Amino acid sequence: MKAFLKGILERAPGEYAEVRWEEVSHSRVVFQRDQLMALEASREAGGMVRVLVEGAWGIAVFTDPEEIPKRLEEAASLARAASGHVRDRIRLAPVGPVEDKVALSVEEDFREVPLEEKRKLAQRYNELILGYSDEIVASGVRYADSVRRVIFANTEGTYIEQEIPDVTLHLSATARRNGDIQQAFESLGAAAGYEFVRDREEKALAAAKRAVELLSAKPVKGGRYTVVLDQDLAGVFIHEAFGHICEADFLLRNEPMRRVMELGKRFGTEALNVVEDGYIPGRRGNTPYDDEGVRRRKIYLIKEGVLTGLMHSRATAAATGMEPTGNARAVSWEHEPIVRMRNTYIEPGEATFEELLKGIDYGIYAKGSFGGQTEFEQFTFSAAYAYEIVGGEIGEMLRDVVLTGNVFETLRNIELLGEDFELRGSAGGCGKGGQSPLPVTFGAPHVRIRDVIVGGK
Amino acid sequence: MGILEKAAAVAKEAELYEEYREGIGVSFRGGELEKVKSEAVLGRALRVILDGKLGFASTAGEEEDSLVEAAVASARHGGPAPFSFPELKGEQRVEVLDPEVRKLSPEDLLEWGEEAVKAITGEFPGIIADVHLFRGESSVRLANTSGGAREERRSYFGMYVEAQHVKEGDIWLLWVGKTVRKREDLSPEELVSQVIRYLRWGERVVPPPTGKPPVLFTPRGAIVLYLPLLVGFSGLSVYMGTSPLKGKLGEEAFDRRLTIVDDGALPFGPRSGSFDDEGVLTGRLPLVEEGVVRHFYYDLRAAALAGAEPTGNGMKGAFFGGGFRTPPSPGPRNVLVSPGEGTLDELIAEMREGIIVEGVLGLGQGNIQSGAFSNNVSTGFVVRDGEVIGRLKNTMIAGNAYEVLKENLVAVGAEAEWCHGIYKSPPLLVEGVSVVSR
Repeated sequence: MKAFLKGILERAPGEYAEVRWEEVSHSRVVFQRDQLMALEASREAGGMVRVLVEGAWGIAVFTDPEEIPKRLEEAASLARAASGHVRDRIRLAPVGPVEDKVALSVEEDFREVPLEEKRKLAQRYNELILGYSDEIVASGVRYADSVRRVIFANTEGTYIEQEIPDVTLHLSATARRNGDIQQAFESLGAAAGYEFVRDREEKALAAAKRAVELLSAKPVKGGRYTVVLDQDLAGVFIHEAFGHICEADFLLRNEPMRRVMELGKRFGTEALNVVEDGYIPGRRGNTPYDDEGVRRRKIYLIKEGVLTGLMHSRATAAATGMEPTGNARAVSWEHEPIVRMRNTYIEPGEATFEELLKGIDYGIYAKGSFGGQTEFEQFTFSAAYAYEIVGGEIGEMLRDVVLTGNVFETLRNIELLGEDFELRGSAGGCGKGGQSPLPVTFGAPHVRIRDVIVGGK
Repeated sequence: MGILEKAAAVAKEAELYEEYREGIGVSFRGGELEKVKSEAVLGRALRVILDGKLGFASTAGEEEDSLVEAAVASARHGGPAPFSFPELKGEQRVEVLDPEVRKLSPEDLLEWGEEAVKAITGEFPGIIADVHLFRGESSVRLANTSGGAREERRSYFGMYVEAQHVKEGDIWLLWVGKTVRKREDLSPEELVSQVIRYLRWGERVVPPPTGKPPVLFTPRGAIVLYLPLLVGFSGLSVYMGTSPLKGKLGEEAFDRRLTIVDDGALPFGPRSGSFDDEGVLTGRLPLVEEGVVRHFYYDLRAAALAGAEPTGNGMKGAFFGGGFRTPPSPGPRNVLVSPGEGTLDELIAEMREGIIVEGVLGLGQGNIQSGAFSNNVSTGFVVRDGEVIGRLKNTMIAGNAYEVLKENLVAVGAEAEWCHGIYKSPPLLVEGVSVVSR
């Protein structure tokens, strides 16, 4: 492939061109109640070329590698058509040519594990959930693994081959009592091997137990509360509500938002540090080289409460006079790299869990996330479940807890950071610009925030 | 020997799905052209039934033999196949290919994009406009060992506009768009004028009435109420017992003014096809007739499990695509909600005082199956004395879709619109939704 691509790129049109070819092997097992809905081990391959002509991108996606020269021409002609409409020409921040190979490194390669064994594992977890109680009416177990072998080459002499593993397990339970239906789940993911999903019986049981408990939980009363978020939900918050607005492509053509997001501006107390890191052993967001061939960097988005960094692609870095950070990622060969997060987290503070609860007369301890969504500063997250905090102690279980607010106010309202940091990958992924689910991780300690709006009846 | 023959040599039954998608798209971000992209993607999926067990594999850009091996390996450990692949007999031709769509050049899309940006920023200089336009064709071919094959070319054409109003302390993101099969079903000018209408409504921020005021869901906003139903009418959800509609066939579970049909054979419907992704011919399936639950929708598997007939709703990627990689599951086709009476302006006048919901955050989060929703309103307006007086902020709505559509429907509007590429609905005026604001 190397000689083939180098040969093609020597004759490539435009001021810059790149080829990305991906070979993916993946497998899935899906149980829904007593049904095996999917059992699959497949392989696929496809590629993308990007050509820059007079400051405009032309892009072509294909599945036949023999078409690469033709697709380069096609992308160049699209770029030429586009260049007549471009006022602000795209430039790429310089990065040196790289030749490297990142080989797969996992304990137990799941490609060697027979599909039958994966099915049996998923089936066992499924049976545990279904058998937990008569009130459990449905279950879901989703196991998935993949190795993405990515070959990247460009006209600047870069040639990189990477093998990126990903393994996830999603366990869910649905409980029903009379007309009321409640769901609970446990969601796990890592850049690891098959060992990561073994021995997860306690997680399956936890999902089932919680679904049943939620049947007796009180719906939360809407209002304004001091809220303690667990590590999962605080991680979702920092990723969704804050991380996305630190993506420089979003800010590039957004003058007003750029003023809001000026480096050096204070966003929180001195205790607040937010990190975006391209490599932490075993984490789903790991991106040794991004999909523009840029080597990873660890950056602080917030240091001691002050905005200190943004995430960049080569184009956004050039446009703002910054260094590329290795955040240009594509979810698959069908998509172009855009600025994305990798492993994003709030660094721990010093408070114990008891200290976090202390002094709260009536508040909410919100745990886990059913998902979150943001539009710029405005965010909404559904907690998977929650508890009352009464007189500084954990009280009864609550449900239907949806948190909403303005990210800047909420960051300012962070009162305390716990000492109990956790960085976890879930089985889901991040979505942006039609590219989903991209493996990422996020994390945090327990976080206490005042004046959070909670929706409810 | 073709893939199907190779598979049939090992397994008794086999089905090959092939999809070739060819198209172009342009994207503007912040008013500036970001990219022009083409795609030519061939994807395949193979299902086999071996010793009564179902196997599935998919591929793109790979050799054919590995696909057969993968599907057979999956079947060896697969679950029992409760169904057989149907004989692909009978014919129907639903119009899904408009040759006009193919004629749209990158230059055409670029010009529409530029005009949209110009029209929006001309009136609202501070607005940041993102515009996406795309068009293409997908050719789907399906064959199985029960005999016969089906083949179809389908066109698609879409445009999405995001208008961003960004000021510190007041950020508002409005998006409007649609995907159609027929060139003339999408007017870029109309889409842009809709964006401008909302931007005019939203220039001023005003506090909304709270408590349980009347709520007018625009066609697009009504997804809040329809999403639980789209899941709930799935024959699989009903069979699995997760749908609250289980056991409600023939019952009046909704307001009598509500009639909802799922029509997979609608000419040029965005999700229309002559056949579904398992080769079953599509048709018109009443889900709700004057409030009464009439049918659920099924793919082959759910139909076999539930002892029902497949309805032509076997979709690869049930709701929002997924294409060749995804095995079929029951999904809605084109969900048509029958219009009632009253233009949008008349409904606004009728409600006197309340809110309009056009878009929400957090869609699909939480306990969808039960019908519960609790969402931050991302685009919504405040109505006072029967007129729109401005945009609302920091407001949450909560309720239960099943309750609202049975007990609290005030009016069904007359003007139905295609939304989210999946349903066509008029606006709905309802009560019983709690509105919390700060």
